[in-house]
Amino acid sequence: MGHLHDLLAYEVVEGIKSQQFTAEQYVGSIIKRIEDVDSKLHSFITVDSEGALSSAKIIDRKIKEKEDIGSLPGVTIGIKDNISTKGIRTTCASKILEGYVPSYDATVIRKLKENGAIILGKLNLDEFGMGSTTEYSSFHSTHNPWNLDYVPGGSSGGSGAAVAAGECTVSLGSDTGGSIRCPASFCSVVGVKPTYGRVSRYGLISYANSLEQIGPICRSVKDAVMIMNIISGKDIMDNTSTQSTPIAIQSKLGKLNIAIIKELINGSDHDVTRTVYSASEKFKDIGYSCEEVSIKNLDYALPSYYTLASAEASSNLARYDNIRYGFDFPIEEYKWDTYFSNVRKNFGQEVKRRILIGSYVLSSGYYSKYYLKARMLRSLLKLELLKLFNKYDLLIGPTMPILPFKIGEKIDDPFKMYLIDINTVLANLAGIPAISIPVGFSNGLPIGLQIMAAPFQEQKLIDASLALEDTIDIQRRPNSI
Amino acid sequence: MISIEELKYLAEISKINLTDDEINKFPPQLNKTIEYIDILEELASDESITLDLHEINFDELRDDVVKKSDGQPIIKNLTEEGFLRGPKMK
Repeated sequence: MGHLHDLLAYEVVEGIKSQQFTAEQYVGSIIKRIEDVDSKLHSFITVDSEGALSSAKIIDRKIKEKEDIGSLPGVTIGIKDNISTKGIRTTCASKILEGYVPSYDATVIRKLKENGAIILGKLNLDEFGMGSTTEYSSFHSTHNPWNLDYVPGGSSGGSGAAVAAGECTVSLGSDTGGSIRCPASFCSVVGVKPTYGRVSRYGLISYANSLEQIGPICRSVKDAVMIMNIISGKDIMDNTSTQSTPIAIQSKLGKLNIAIIKELINGSDHDVTRTVYSASEKFKDIGYSCEEVSIKNLDYALPSYYTLASAEASSNLARYDNIRYGFDFPIEEYKWDTYFSNVRKNFGQEVKRRILIGSYVLSSGYYSKYYLKARMLRSLLKLELLKLFNKYDLLIGPTMPILPFKIGEKIDDPFKMYLIDINTVLANLAGIPAISIPVGFSNGLPIGLQIMAAPFQEQKLIDASLALEDTIDIQRRPNSI
Repeated sequence: MISIEELKYLAEISKINLTDDEINKFPPQLNKTIEYIDILEELASDESITLDLHEINFDELRDDVVKKSDGQPIIKNLTEEGFLRGPKMK
């Protein structure tokens, strides 16, 4: 056995339950790991060592007294800092919320805690989830553990980097247009965006609430299944949530039919294309059928996503008026009609741009031209994908069309940044589940394969991912850090 | 396309004060995005396409039972008397 911090979640559970090591020892090793590497990675915004160790001691006491410890005892979880954690500040990487401490736990947090998981701290993100590299955080950029000069992806970049570097057992991210899958791909780890409605969004600080879901980022598919089964489920606090069947590690589904999306693979960098084709060959080797298909409405998907996401963002971020939650901005000096605009100039530039675009596409004269058309495209796309899912079990392609790139490379051209989401937004628009699993490297930089399934067919995603994981052993932890 | 005047209007309705630097920098950046989303015009409007995407089963409504509220909310601007402070209305 290597270091404790290299253990996968199911190994931690086995180790603690069988008393090979205590939760306190394990959490201690994770905290030491963070101390050793986070000054290089900057994955975390807040680390709650005290809270984590105290929770660990409670687990150890429960084990001694033979009390119920749930299914994730001792598993340390890093939480993307747009998910509410009671008593731990939740900033969304924004100056606007830098002092905000939630008075409640998100439903996913409550469920994880009930199962003995240990909330380690809050992980860095692009401000309010808007971005693909974590460079838009108002605190600091996170660095890719595979090469510190490179971006870890975004918006859940802290979540991807921390898991890859062993700074936590698993992490939670959120995915509005690819924000779990992008960092999973760029950091060579597994990331799952559930079907819309599978996981409660209560406590997730909204960016685009018709598109986003909370999901796990882990070093193995089995770990992702463990987390998914805990966090899924209908929640009275989220009316868009619904009950779903737990995912099994071994299902009876048998061989699956896969289709590669032509436009996505053809639009990618050469090394990405080559690696993804090679992974698809592995599927054929294990008896899955694999064809190529075209998606007719693909060109409209990304424009539709940015229209809808910006529109929803402009509405969801209207609440930030520094009255109910916020930071130290003096009330006395301002009149009511100038106060809010002054407060809100503390958003970062990318957030401002998206709010402005959102206001634009919703405004009189432009509403039918952009917003209604985008919604229409969304339905068309979903219908088209569901039709494909009548014939195929799974649709695959590269998660990202390009390899990870250097920090600072795309920051001056926000529009260039938007284009890299092209492969991932489909799943959010259609509300379907999607996973990114590592399938290779190019010059030491990770490449991920994206697999999508019909709504609530996560079992098929997992079957295929486990089968691939068995066949190609891709490194999940960089040696260099 | 967005002119500086139109940008100022959008900033007003979004309630965001833009700096002078942003007022100059944003129009070309935003216009790239708007040019990109203009492609949506190619789609013919079709009223027969339902815009409903996510079905939610409303068979089960919870019982209309009064529950105790979950403790004191912690609001930074609450005064000692328990009021929220806001800017002066005029």
